[in-house]
Amino acid sequence: MRVVVGIKWVPNTQAVRFDPRTGTLLREGVPSIVNPHDLVAVEFALELRDKYGGEVIAITMAPPSALKGLEHVIGMGVDRGILITDRVFAGADTLATSYVIAHAIRKIEREIGHVDLAVFGQETIDSSTAHIGAQTASWLGWPYLYYVTKAEPVDGKLIVERTLEDRVEVYELELPAVVAVAMRSRKPRPVRLANKIRAKLEKPLIIWSNKELGLDPRCVGLRGSPTVVAKITFTPEVPRKKKIYRPRSGDDAAHWILKSLLADEKASKILRRILGGEM
Amino acid sequence: MGSIPTRFDVIVVGAGPAGAAAAYHAAKRGFKVLLVERGRGAGSKELYGGRIYVGPLRDVWPGIEKEAPIHRWVVEERLSIIGDGEVATLSYRYSNPVSFTAYLPDLTRWMVSKAEEEGVVFVDEVRVDSLVRDGEGRVIGIRSGPDVAYASVVVDAEGANRLLLERAGIVDALDAKRAPIALGVKEVLKLPKGAIEDRLGLSDGEGLSWLIAGTVTKGIPGGGFIYTFKDTIAVGVVVHLGHSVNAVEAGVLKESVKDLVESIRLHPYFKRLWRDSDIVEYGAHLTVECGLDYMPPHLAYDGLVIVGDAAGLLLNLGYTVRGVDLASYSGMLAAEAIAKAHDLGGMNAENLRVYENMVKESFIYKELVRHRGICWLTKERRFFTSYANILLGILSNLYVQEFKHPTVFEAVKASIRSGGEALLPLIGRILKVVREL
Ligand SMILES: Cc1cc2nc3c(=O)[nH]c(=O)nc-3n(C[C@H](O)[C@H](O)[C@H](O)COP(=O)(O)OP(=O)(O)OC[C@H]3O[C@@H](n4cnc5c(N)ncnc54)[C@H](O)[C@@H]3O)c2cc1C
Repeated sequence: MRVVVGIKWVPNTQAVRFDPRTGTLLREGVPSIVNPHDLVAVEFALELRDKYGGEVIAITMAPPSALKGLEHVIGMGVDRGILITDRVFAGADTLATSYVIAHAIRKIEREIGHVDLAVFGQETIDSSTAHIGAQTASWLGWPYLYYVTKAEPVDGKLIVERTLEDRVEVYELELPAVVAVAMRSRKPRPVRLANKIRAKLEKPLIIWSNKELGLDPRCVGLRGSPTVVAKITFTPEVPRKKKIYRPRSGDDAAHWILKSLLADEKASKILRRILGGEM
Repeated sequence: MGSIPTRFDVIVVGAGPAGAAAAYHAAKRGFKVLLVERGRGAGSKELYGGRIYVGPLRDVWPGIEKEAPIHRWVVEERLSIIGDGEVATLSYRYSNPVSFTAYLPDLTRWMVSKAEEEGVVFVDEVRVDSLVRDGEGRVIGIRSGPDVAYASVVVDAEGANRLLLERAGIVDALDAKRAPIALGVKEVLKLPKGAIEDRLGLSDGEGLSWLIAGTVTKGIPGGGFIYTFKDTIAVGVVVHLGHSVNAVEAGVLKESVKDLVESIRLHPYFKRLWRDSDIVEYGAHLTVECGLDYMPPHLAYDGLVIVGDAAGLLLNLGYTVRGVDLASYSGMLAAEAIAKAHDLGGMNAENLRVYENMVKESFIYKELVRHRGICWLTKERRFFTSYANILLGILSNLYVQEFKHPTVFEAVKASIRSGGEALLPLIGRILKVVREL
């Protein structure tokens, strides 16, 4: 199997601060990392390769500093990395990004070989749109499934499991296909010494600019992005009262909750309104 | 993946100032070098005070003054002794700076980039779990998870927290209460543009180093520091680890050593310096307290040399730490010794001990021996509490008088008496301190 996995080079949002006065994100000096949910996708792809053979290619559309991110996933065991980088790609929304990624996958098929599966993380920590997988699939005309937790190739098809809140669904996908892997569904493997040495010595990295991809500049970057970010706001956390009670039984718990709610002026008013005459 | 060459001439563990220098100089001499660092990117795990002496580094890193990310050249030294409500400050300004301030992560990254230019294979995000030894105990490589890489010689540059040497049985496990180890905690405050110059009376590019002793460490042996960078100031303390643990257990410190940093940051005498600033960084790191006591039995074994903090090659004067230049210098010496051992026929202990001799003949060892006496000072609690108060008492007797001014001798005598000390032994101790410093 040849699996392509998309990764995003994102600012470590845990270190990003929000300036409520100007409504902007303070990203200065914040180190970038590979989107953690994408590492889950990388792990998913590596498990498939380890079991069924083939190769895993990581791709990212990003500034050149993202080579560090590709080195990281090659350190995990990815076979090679492709960096798609060009000034004209800058300022892209998800539509323009997926357009470029879909065309890069086409180019991989032309120049490296047939692609069986494209894998993405569930979403990114810096924007949480979860668009890229779906949009890439639709540019390519491939079937797409999200929240995927398991996959197994059987007779040229892919048996895929996805886990929703209340059920597990099993699908049979025609290949090639695109899947987005459920976040936290597996633990990404650590970087290994031998793989890192390989990343440094063999440099299994390809860099493509728009010279190689040859895409219409009106469809990529800022120009190809219809999305407008009107405003970013900050929702401060509302402080809540916390109490821990260890009930002896279900009845006891219900009793305690009711008692606590009735003791609170606001809550008891709402409760009386809902329950009306039954109180 | 079997084709990956995992054999090198030299493997260096730890990309700090010591490891980067060893790797750089070994590669320069034509060896195939692997440099392994557990942090993400070079320098990411570094934390120190802020000032580096440039003299030795000129030999190690040609071009450092032009190329390295230097912030300010130190032209003013201050020393403050803090009491309860009193402060005595000594300040000294000079025109030929010998040290600069820099962010150690940036400087280390620069050093590692120099090493990579020389052909060093630098690998980050990989923790070395142990040294690999053959049947006769010779070090032949390193192990990390399932992988092993081999080399003719391994340079241990893992820093003060030397788990590899502990695991190899070369040094004892660290005992937090008894080890000659200090804990450094610091905050970095970002100031409005021009504020550092205005508030501290500095010109563009000029820096200041400020050491703080007295009650700010709440009786724990150690001291505080303030260093100036481009548009930030570092404020921190370095305190004896064992005494700090005791202080937390005894409730002298509410939470941890970071209380002490806060007490300097909020001190009325200092806080005006960083008015309108933001805390942009916070961190803690161990450091060696008394280098000679921390030194392993040997600095070279079969297939192994030990450099930098891991070798105890660091000067901690209780109030200031000097390690970056010594670490880098020892790394350079190790590379020279490796080249010599290579010419002598191999990396056995006998050949590699040239390194030990080189260190002993260098300024590093001479400095460590010269300042050896300082070690008792770091254990002497009185020096950090009552002596500070006695000094402040002398100044108070001298200056804070409404009618009658005492002679200097009267002021000294009165202050010592109220400090509960006897005059003669005290003078003896003070002389000893002065001699050591
Ligand atoms: C609070 C404080 C203030 C200081 N102030 C100053 C100062 O103002 N001026 C000065 O000159 N010096 C100062 N020092 C001392 C100086 O920081 C050190 O002496 C110097 O950094 C030592 O360099 P090193 O390369 O030996 O070790 P380190 O800088 O500690 O580098 C060791 C490296 O090895 C890596 N490593 C460790 N174990 C492994 C492993 N198993 N596998 C892979 N990698 C590993 C670490 O991540 C680290 O990057 C200060 C120290 C402290 C703690």
